[in-house]
Amino acid sequence: MRILIIALFVVLVALSLMIGSLGGVTPKALLAGDETALRVLLYSRIPRTAAIILSAAGLSVAGLIMQAISRNKFMSPATSGTTDAAAFGLLMSFIFLSKQSGIVQTLFAFVFALVATLLFTSVINRLKLREVVYIPLLGMMYGGLISALTTAVAYRFDAMQMMASIGLGSFARLGNFAIVYIVVAPLILSVMYASKFSIIGLGEDFAKNLGVRYRRVVFLGLAVISLISAATFVAVGPLPFIGLIIPNMATSFYGDNLKKSIIDLMLFGADFVLVCDILSRLIIYPFEMSVSLTVSIIGGVIFMIYLLRGMYGNRKQKTV
Amino acid sequence: MIEVKNVSQSYNRHGQRKTLEDINFSVREHTITALVGANGAGKSTLLGVMANLLPALSGSVLLDGTDVRRVKTNAMAKKVAFLKQTQLLSIRVTVNDLVEFGRFPHCAGRLTQLDRDKVSQALEYMNLTELRERYLDELSGGQRQRAFIAMILAQDTPYIFLDEPLNNLDVKYSVEMMKIVQRLVSELNKTVVMVLHDINFAAAYAGYIVAMKDGRIIREGVPEEMITRETLRAVFDFDFRIEKYGGKNVCLYFDNE
Repeated sequence: MRILIIALFVVLVALSLMIGSLGGVTPKALLAGDETALRVLLYSRIPRTAAIILSAAGLSVAGLIMQAISRNKFMSPATSGTTDAAAFGLLMSFIFLSKQSGIVQTLFAFVFALVATLLFTSVINRLKLREVVYIPLLGMMYGGLISALTTAVAYRFDAMQMMASIGLGSFARLGNFAIVYIVVAPLILSVMYASKFSIIGLGEDFAKNLGVRYRRVVFLGLAVISLISAATFVAVGPLPFIGLIIPNMATSFYGDNLKKSIIDLMLFGADFVLVCDILSRLIIYPFEMSVSLTVSIIGGVIFMIYLLRGMYGNRKQKTV
Repeated sequence: MIEVKNVSQSYNRHGQRKTLEDINFSVREHTITALVGANGAGKSTLLGVMANLLPALSGSVLLDGTDVRRVKTNAMAKKVAFLKQTQLLSIRVTVNDLVEFGRFPHCAGRLTQLDRDKVSQALEYMNLTELRERYLDELSGGQRQRAFIAMILAQDTPYIFLDEPLNNLDVKYSVEMMKIVQRLVSELNKTVVMVLHDINFAAAYAGYIVAMKDGRIIREGVPEEMITRETLRAVFDFDFRIEKYGGKNVCLYFDNE
């Protein structure tokens, strides 16, 4: 399984480097020392591919940690208000500080995302609501409220156009690409803390019994999720479903021991988004569509299949 | 050595509606101690306070002379293993993963050869070596139960607290579970404190019984002293019929009129 994912990864990376509106970026041209091809590769294709890999890996990990913390397979940064709060933070930085560097924007998005996610998880914990589907539903309503507020504020301050352009995810926005490299830090952190995050997923008493400081690890997890969501949002915009379906697909192969699965999960997420991005570059070639669209369509279908299969799975489990 | 001193606990901070009131007792070493009593008597709360999962409102629990609230979470996890009634876990892990989690207090997730040996020993002891790569949700109730015990064994603590371990288990697995717990004490020299619902399981397997009612300990003693009509009436507000069977007292609770 791992070999397959890695092989696919290599192939897709190569494809992603070679496909684009400007043809001629082929191994042959590069070896021959074609300067245009080299420049396109260096300044466009490589950053783009890196952005895809990092944001996809990041969001997959964020979803996985979210699902472990909330002990709910239907949770992701998009169903807990995290992404919406990141958008709100981005708007705030735009309004109060006008045009800013990507770092400041990310910082704003990060702080807002973290506060909103903390608020949501603490409310959820107090509710003692254990019906699995209600929590993401509440999260989506909560996210809806935040994004309604974002729209209202954006309207008031004439920032609608900016928000609309950010609202569509794309890997063609060269400007803020560098921001996506921020994701590397939380990714390393999450690999280091992988065992702790799995143990958190077993519940508070269980974690304490094993000597894990529950609250501290949960906070760290939420910070990782918020930073990843904020950085990817600023760099490429929203990528729906990634945080939801990739962890679900990966854990049905590997189980929930994060230590074993986290690296494969990142690669798998990257594979998925690379496919989507290559498709969105090819379908109306030489133009391209928003990657959010392709991700939503393919991801939505996969999620439906998963949901239906999961329902049957649950029924089977109950009768045993 | 675990001593409970003047422990009180209540639902809210103002101290109304006490769930534990002035509890004093010391855990007997290398014995099974059973906490018995009616629903809401405070058995599980007491066990939670003893494991420092919820801090006592007043009074203290001393582990080898130190207040458990001052013991670091990790140090505590090397002394006391706590297992709630074995429920279906919300996450999918293999038996091996679960037992490796038990080594977490010792190695923080980076397993050394010693940790792997302990995991293998625990699996071997619980007869799970062949099932180690199976997922927990693929196992029978009894096998799953053994996997959790294996995890606690890998945790390698002198004290084991079990909160209603027999809930959701049918008779066969309940008896198997109690026999395992007995072996933990007799072969591995563990000290076990467990909450039990069924008075007969306590009578048959425990070395010491602590009876609780309305947040207080009202009687404690060895089973021979405890399993009497008079004591049980005080604890459960119910008249049991006590019969001798194979040298042990058995409590019958139907057709008593």
